[in-house]
Parts: sequence; C-alpha cells; structure tokens
Amino acid sequence: MAATPEIPNSDKNGERRAREPDEAQVVVETRALSKVYRDFWGRQKVRALKSLDLEIHKGEIFGLLGPNGSGKTTTIKLLLGLLFPSEGEAIVLGQNATEVSKNERIGYLPEESYLYRFLNAEETLDFYGRLFNIPADVRRERIDRLIKLVKLDAARRRQLREYSKGMTRRIGLAQALINEPDLILLDEPTSGLDPIGTREMKDWILELRDQGKTIVMCSHLLADVQDVCDRIAILHQGELKELGRVDELLKVEDVTQVKARGLSADCQDEIRQVIERHQGELVSMENPTTTLEELFLSIVRDSEARPGRRIVKQEPTKQGKS
Amino acid sequence: MILEKPLLPYFEWLLQFDKTRWGALPHFLLTLLVIAIATLLLSLLVGTVLYGPLKAGDKVYRVVVNGFRELFSLSFRRVWALARLAIQESLRGRVLIAVAVFVLLLLFAGWFLKTEREPARLYFSFVLTATSFLGLFVALLLAVFSLPNDFKSKTIYTVLTKPVRAGEVVIGRILGFSLVGTVLLAIMGVCSYLFVVRALDHTHTVVGSVLAKGGDAEGNLPETTSLDKGHRHTIQQDDDGHLFAEFAHDHDHHVGESNGRLVVSSPHETIRARVPRGGTLRFKDRQGVQVARGVSVGKEWGYRSFIEGGTQAAAIWTFDGIDEKTLHDEDDGGEALRLELVVRVFRTWKADINTPVQGVIQLKRPGSDLKTAPEFFSAKDATIDQRYFPRTLTDTNNQPIDLLDDLVDEQGQIEVVVQCLDRSQYFGFAQGDCYVRMKEGSPLWNFTKAYISMWVQMVLVIAIAVTGSTVLSGPIAMMFTVSFILLGFYREFFVRVARGIQEGGGPVESLVRLVTQMNLTAGFRGESETTSLWIMRSVDSVFLGAMELLANVLPDFGEFNATKYVAYGFDIPANQIAQQLTMGAAYVIGLSIVGYFLLRTREVAK
Ligand SMILES: Nc1ncnc2c1ncn2[C@@H]1O[C@H](COP(=O)(O)OP(=O)(O)OP(=O)(O)O)[C@@H](O)[C@H]1O
Ligand SMILES: [Mg+2]
Repeated sequence: MAATPEIPNSDKNGERRAREPDEAQVVVETRALSKVYRDFWGRQKVRALKSLDLEIHKGEIFGLLGPNGSGKTTTIKLLLGLLFPSEGEAIVLGQNATEVSKNERIGYLPEESYLYRFLNAEETLDFYGRLFNIPADVRRERIDRLIKLVKLDAARRRQLREYSKGMTRRIGLAQALINEPDLILLDEPTSGLDPIGTREMKDWILELRDQGKTIVMCSHLLADVQDVCDRIAILHQGELKELGRVDELLKVEDVTQVKARGLSADCQDEIRQVIERHQGELVSMENPTTTLEELFLSIVRDSEARPGRRIVKQEPTKQGKS
Repeated sequence: MILEKPLLPYFEWLLQFDKTRWGALPHFLLTLLVIAIATLLLSLLVGTVLYGPLKAGDKVYRVVVNGFRELFSLSFRRVWALARLAIQESLRGRVLIAVAVFVLLLLFAGWFLKTEREPARLYFSFVLTATSFLGLFVALLLAVFSLPNDFKSKTIYTVLTKPVRAGEVVIGRILGFSLVGTVLLAIMGVCSYLFVVRALDHTHTVVGSVLAKGGDAEGNLPETTSLDKGHRHTIQQDDDGHLFAEFAHDHDHHVGESNGRLVVSSPHETIRARVPRGGTLRFKDRQGVQVARGVSVGKEWGYRSFIEGGTQAAAIWTFDGIDEKTLHDEDDGGEALRLELVVRVFRTWKADINTPVQGVIQLKRPGSDLKTAPEFFSAKDATIDQRYFPRTLTDTNNQPIDLLDDLVDEQGQIEVVVQCLDRSQYFGFAQGDCYVRMKEGSPLWNFTKAYISMWVQMVLVIAIAVTGSTVLSGPIAMMFTVSFILLGFYREFFVRVARGIQEGGGPVESLVRLVTQMNLTAGFRGESETTSLWIMRSVDSVFLGAMELLANVLPDFGEFNATKYVAYGFDIPANQIAQQLTMGAAYVIGLSIVGYFLLRTREVAK
C-alpha cells in the first residue's frame, strides 16, 4: 500500500478538518457486545463477535475493517436490531438497539442492496419515504434531489430488476438517505462500484460527515477506508484488534520516504550518501508510479473533458483537478 | 331455506354472557387472554431454561411492554405504504392471470353445463364454487409467499430498519392482499352474474299467428313452444285471454305479439331471493295439553318431534311482525299471506305409500279461540307445500274475518296450527319446517351477499397465511394455512373427535384401529385396563385436549359458503352476513396481534 495521504481533490481534504467530531456526544456505544450464531436446536455454530466495546462519536466517520467473515456485517446488524445480541448490549442514539423508534434517525445501506426489484427508482424512494411518515411534498422534493445526487436521473422510471450492480448501490444509498438520517450505517459502500462510482461514494460520505452526520462504514478495501475514515477499528475473527485515528495508525515512525521530482543522477547519488552517512537504510528510491485507480481516473476525466480523443498515455505528473 | 340452527339475533350472538352460552365477544376476549397467558408462561419457561429466571423475566417484560407501546404507535400512512407494496407486488406478479383463467372458464362453461331441470341452481353453484376456490387459491398463493420471499431476498432488512412496527408489516400485508382479492372477487362476481343472467335468458318460438291468439275460427291454439335449452312449455291462456307459456323448468314466459307473429318473452323470475321468516314452534299432546316437544318416534336424530294423527295433538308456530308488508300482492289483485310447510310423515301402519296422509292447517289469533276454517292438505313426505291465505277468510263458524285485523294480535303475532287427521299416522316437525314467505329480496343484492361471505373467507385465509408466514418459510406456511382451511371445513368432525363424541377414539386409538383393521365401534380385547391401553388413552387425552383448544380458535369455513342460498333462490339473512363480518374482523385483529409478536421476536437477520 502506497501511503499517499494526498487524494486527487485535495481541496476537499482541506475542509476535512473543518468539523471535528464531537467527542462528548456518543452516538453508538457497544458494551461487551457478543454474537453467537446458533442453529435451530440451539447448538453453537459460529462465534461471530466476541465482546466488542466501541464508542462512536457524533460527526465522525468510523470504519470497521477486517477480512471476510471477521464480523463486520454482524456488528452492523446488531446495531440495527436485525440481530439480537447473545451478550452485552448496543446503545444507538441513546436507545437500545432493539428499539424500533431509533430507526427514525438512521440510514442503512446493506451489504447488497436488498430492494424490491419490481419497483422503479422513484417508487422505491417513495415507499421508503412513506415508511418514515414523510409528508408528500417533502417526499417528492427529496426523491428528486436524491435521484439527481446519485445520478440515476436517466433510469428513474426503470424497474430495479434491470439495474446493474452499481446502479443498485446508488439507489441503495439514496434509500438510506431518504430520512436525512443522523447516523448512517454503510456496509461495504464501494463494493460493485467502478472507480468513478467509488470516488463519488467517498465524496458523498465526506460530504455527509461535513453536514454533521455520523457514519459507520465497514469495508475490507483498505484504500477506501483510509481515504475517508477518521477512526477505524480492525476486527479479526470477531475480535477487536486495533482501534484508533487513521492518521495515527498509518504513521510509520521509523520509515522516511523520499519522493522528489527533477533530480539528476548525481543528485540521487548524493542523497544516497547522505542516508548512508546517517546510518539509515535506503528502502527504495525510484521514480514514483501512480496507482491504477489514479490512472483510470485521469483517463476517464480527460476523455470527459475532450470527448472523442483517444488518450494513449497520460503523464501522471500532469494530473490534478481539471 | 330455514337454518336448522336458527340464527341468533346479532347482539345476542355478540354479547350474550351467561351460563348457557358465551357470546362471540366474550369468547373472543377469553381466547385472547388464554393465548396470552399460555404464551407468557411458555416463554418464561423456555427463557428460564436458556438464560435463567431473571434475564428471562426481563426479556419477556420488555417484549410485553414494547408490544403495548407499539400497538398504540401504529401509523396508518405506514400501513398504507406497506399495503400498496403488497398490491404492487401482486400486480407485477401477474395476478390478473387468475382473472383471465376465470373468464376463459366462463366462456367455455356453457358447453359442459347442461341440465334438464333448474338451470339457475346449476349455474349459480358452478360460478360460486369456481370463484370461491379460485379466489381462495390466489389469495393463498399471494399472501403465503410474500413475507417468506422478503426474508429470502432480505428486502425485509431495508424495511425493518425503518421505523416500521412489526404490526404494521402484518396489517399492511393483510390489507394489501385483501384489497387485491376484493378487486379480483368483484371482477369475477360481475362476470359470474352476467354469465348466469345471460345463460338463463332465452326465448322460444311458437308456430302460429295472432289470429290464433284469441282462439281462431276453429279455436286452435298452438300447443307448445319450441324445444330450447332442453325444455319446452305448454301454452295456456289465462282468464283475460292472454297467452303464457306454462311454468316449467323453474320459470314461465309471457307470450305477446309482434308484426303479426307470436313472440315469447324472456323468462320470469329465473333468479330469486326468497325471504323466509321463521317462527317459534310449540306442541300440544294428544289431550291438547301444551308440551315442550312432541312424540319421539325413535328415528331421525331427535331434531324433529312428532304429532299423532286423529288426536288433539298439534304443532303450533308463532310468527312475529306480521303486517301489511308481509302480505304479497297476488295476480288476482288481492293480498295473501304465503306460508310454506315441510312435513315429515311417519306411518305406523303400512298403507299405500303413495296415498298421502291428510292434515289440516289453520291460522289462529294468539290468546284467543278465533281460528280460520280448517284447510285440508295431503302431505307428501319432505316436499315443500305452498299455502296462500288471502286477506279475507272465514272463521270456523263461517263468518268472514280479516287476516290482519282479526287474526293478528296487538304484538303483530299470528299462530299457525297444524294437525294430522289420519289416525295412528304421525307428522314430524322442526321449527324451521314452516315459514312465512316475505317479500322477495333483490337477487342481485343476494348474489352480492354471497360474495361478501366469500370475501370474509378470503380475508380470513389471507390473515392466517400472513400470520403463519411471519415465522414459517413459504412452503411450510402454505401447508400450515391449508391444514387450517381443511380443519376449518371439517370443523364439526374435528370438534366431535375432540369432545370424544366421534366413534373410534382419539388420534392414537384410531391409528391403532386403522393398522389392526379393527372396527370403529368394537371394544378392545378384554376391555381390561392393560398398560398399553392406558398409555394409548392417556396420550390420546392429551391430543384431544389440544384439539379441543384448537377447535376454539378454528373458524368454521363451511359457514361462509352461501352457494346453497343463492342456488336454491333464498335470501341470505343480513344478520348472517353481519355476524360473519364481525367474526372476520375478530380473526384479523387476533391474528394481527399474534403476527406482531411472532415477527417482533423473530431474529430477522438470522
Ligand atoms: N446467519 C448466519 N448464520 C450463521 N453464521 C453466520 C451468519 N451470518 C454470518 N455468520 C458467520 O459469522 C461470521 C461473521 O460474518 P460477517 O457477515 O459478520 O462477516 P463480515 O466481516 O461482514 O465478512 P465480509 O467481509 O465477507 O462481508 C462468519 O464466520 C459467518 O460465517
Ligand atoms: Mg459483510
């Protein structure tokens, strides 16, 4: 993993620290939360979550990380009351997670978008809007705004059964935002999305955070998590392995990475000597490569700016916000 | 058609609360209470085993308190949203195919529905049975797979993570599918009615000219109409010289003229809704003393009791509410009270079986001796005898009396006295065997009422299916609902087994009898209390207890079948419909509550 803290639209990053999470306001709290899956006869099948203690504050993006089957989805379902804890408890927005009324202020994007395939985008949002008792005019206005936000304007009258996976994710997100929730739970928000979609999703998440909402997302795509999360928890086999601020967790104290542009071979030699002189070990010093994601993004962005022209090679140094 | 078990007045049926009978409402409340307490105890027990008493108590307490809280936070908008979803689901699921199938069925029905007599009966039985089954089937399929599909496709996750109360999911589903079913039934009902009306409508041709109408020079009338729809009529002339096609095949026609030719009109009164008014029956014994029951002749099933011929014994019906409106306008311009009487004849000596037994019928003013002159009739066993009593009658002294003014007392009551004349022969009567024919009801409304009955039944099936499917998977829920329906149809038998009235014993005993090919009534060998016999009986008594409990909540599906009324041309009492609607509502409420708790305590994402 290249530890590049810079993300393409770096001006967004400037805003990123505009609102600090409110440490005093705890939105989600779990106390010794455990889940054991049992079969019909009550025999233990899997211990999916082992005594999890978490506190998530208002206004932060909290990432749950871990390999497949580590208990991320289980945690989210416990927070939603879709599962009942075997032990411990989860307090969400000041209420027990099994209470229904807490859902008024929650938005949830499931792992896969579990939506009614016989409805179209508008009907879907309308249906979920009604479940929140949102009055008709507000509902209509919000549906319109959300459909535009997730860029499904062209497909708003098509049944979801015809949607591609990425489109389904988009309508899934719109559905999660219909009630303008304070707490948003996203289960692998970027799965199934193309790089642009991924980028957009991350931007939306940041934007939502900037509006003061709390976001809990889980993913095993480290890059995504790293890009957006303020704090993360790493789960492995149902156990909490790591918990803390992303920048602190990613800071590797004893490694210095040198990255420069326009150095001559002489100059590089000189730097090597300087490192040797100080008893350092040169890990790497080479021309930087861009990540695949960045390359793909710049190609698409260029082709959007100048339609028709085919781009063969793009100088990574030229990229930026166009 | 008079019910063998007369309908109780609505409010008595609903509210009565004493030793003899518990009305529907107390019964409903008691059932809810018993179920609630039983469930509470059971969950406490199971919880204690799993988590220990304290935690179990806490959990159960929370579920109950939550339940009450959420019961009162039901939002109609959310229920309606979920109902709309159910409707959309059904429509996109091509429920309209069912309608298409039905219409096709009707189109081709004309081919195979052929009958020599009483076509209305056949057609009505056919359409009502067809809609009833098709409606039930479609409702069942829609309702039973909906929630399980939501669980399977996990769409329920996105619904239940909204502020949706579990009760709203259940009620919304019931409402939505009921609406779909309503539209379905309405379409099928309209088609059916049109089908029957069209199928019954017909004319005949008559060979002959207008000249013949008044009887031509030679006095020749055409004798019969042509043979159409499997029957022909003989042509008659009434007192005014009008021609008509004589009553046959359940109807008659006018014969008019047009362009110098005789034309047969459409049939009259092919569809009817006769309204019988039942009375109360009491008896007098051979000395003319009031008794509660007549003689038992040791046959039948105690339902009818008998009066002896050639004695003072009499059967006396008292009818209420006799006034102007009860009388029918007759063709001759007068008014008449119409009575219908069914007589069971029991012979103690064998005469010619075809010689009818003589009886006499009189109208009498209650509490006085004023009676009409005896009117004699010959009773054939178990046929409906129609009696018309005109407004002006003569009493036993041959003095003219007025039916309403003289024979009906201040309470609007009149008595009908029936006696048997032949010595040592008996007439058998039950309360429903004599009734006053009231003014005809509207056939269309009657047909609609039959559909309302059917509708209640459909809603009931939907409610059962939705409730069952909150915890069961699709196919299992289907089996559950179907067994509920079957048990409901055979409720009477089921109750008899549960109460130990049915021969053959409980489930285990009858299984043993089945396997050993033992006669139902035969005693077990030696009939001594062997251990195995004791075990069998004990297990059975547990089963029977459970069955008895189940019988208490089992709806009687047979009751919803109004086909007989419509097919035989009787009006369905509005009271019966009211009772069924009430019962349907009670089941929907009860099942929704059960469904709420089932869904609420279900771990959704498991
Ligand atoms: N309904 C279930 N019944 C039994 N076991 C389950 C169930 N759901 C999840 N598990 C088990 O619980 C463990 C954690 O599953 P979970 O879905 O929380 O993982 P995850 O971290 O979300 O994985 P992924 O990254 O693949 O989505 C796994 O071992 C899984 O097999
Ligand atoms: Mg997962």
